[in-house]
Amino acid sequence: MILIIGGSASGKSAFAEQTAIARGRGMPLYYLATMQIYDAEGEAKVERHRRLRAGKGFATIEQPREIAESLNEMTEPGTVLLECMSNLVANEMFGEEKQKSADAVADKVVTEILALCQGTRELIVVTNNVFEDGIRYDASTMEYLRALGAVNCRLAETAETVAEVIAGIPVVRKGAL
Amino acid sequence: MELYIGGYAQGKLAYVQKKYPAWETIDGAKEEFAGQEGCGNRIFNHFHLWVRRHLEAGEDVEKLVESLLAGQPDCIILSDEIGNGIVPVDSAEREYREQTGRMLCELAEKASHVERIVCGIGEQIK
Repeated sequence: MILIIGGSASGKSAFAEQTAIARGRGMPLYYLATMQIYDAEGEAKVERHRRLRAGKGFATIEQPREIAESLNEMTEPGTVLLECMSNLVANEMFGEEKQKSADAVADKVVTEILALCQGTRELIVVTNNVFEDGIRYDASTMEYLRALGAVNCRLAETAETVAEVIAGIPVVRKGAL
Repeated sequence: MELYIGGYAQGKLAYVQKKYPAWETIDGAKEEFAGQEGCGNRIFNHFHLWVRRHLEAGEDVEKLVESLLAGQPDCIILSDEIGNGIVPVDSAEREYREQTGRMLCELAEKASHVERIVCGIGEQIK
């Protein structure tokens, strides 16, 4: 597993795609889209990402929750690019009427990602650095930050490679690219 | 062009001024970057605040950055990293983060040297 972290508009998506294509070497390429679209801005964001991926051979699977179920959509094991962990964690946490706890969400997501990883040749996970604005948010947002932070730490333990993308430049934090 | 980025209050300006003591600093919070052509070596500080001012004025920041680099190809640009937080509720704030991030990616690609500064310590990342 390769974990790629970066802030908003840090160039993490473009770098993750390059990595997936470079690692793919003729294997099927799957793009796991976790973002749920609610409005025009969300649509524009998804459209921008689709344009960036166009012609690069990715088969897109929309999987906003229950991420391991995406394995059912893959005809054969391949290189999988999951974008973005921040959306997946939010969807798992706030998807039902009652908000789930950070521990429950982190356990579920990490277990499912490890299962997904087992079924793929190479898994590349994009996650978001949302932790450094110093703002004290409401209790439910702080719970969300704890869940995403825990997921990032636990995936980084398992991943062979962790890279932080800063202004489009990958900086390796663990392993090698 | 060289790019120096980092969080708020990380000693970026002091770091760069120590490295280039003779260069003049222009403050993007209130001064203009464009129109400084041919006036010697310049450090453009607070790039993110300069982006913010021009976005608020409804201007095309991408074009402004292009003309800045055309006039000052060997300048130094300093910017806060502002994208490492929860997505803001306000759409103008989101646009500010998005545009600043994209411009920093472009600048980093064109730069001959990029450093990230934490606690006044530079880490060369390009």
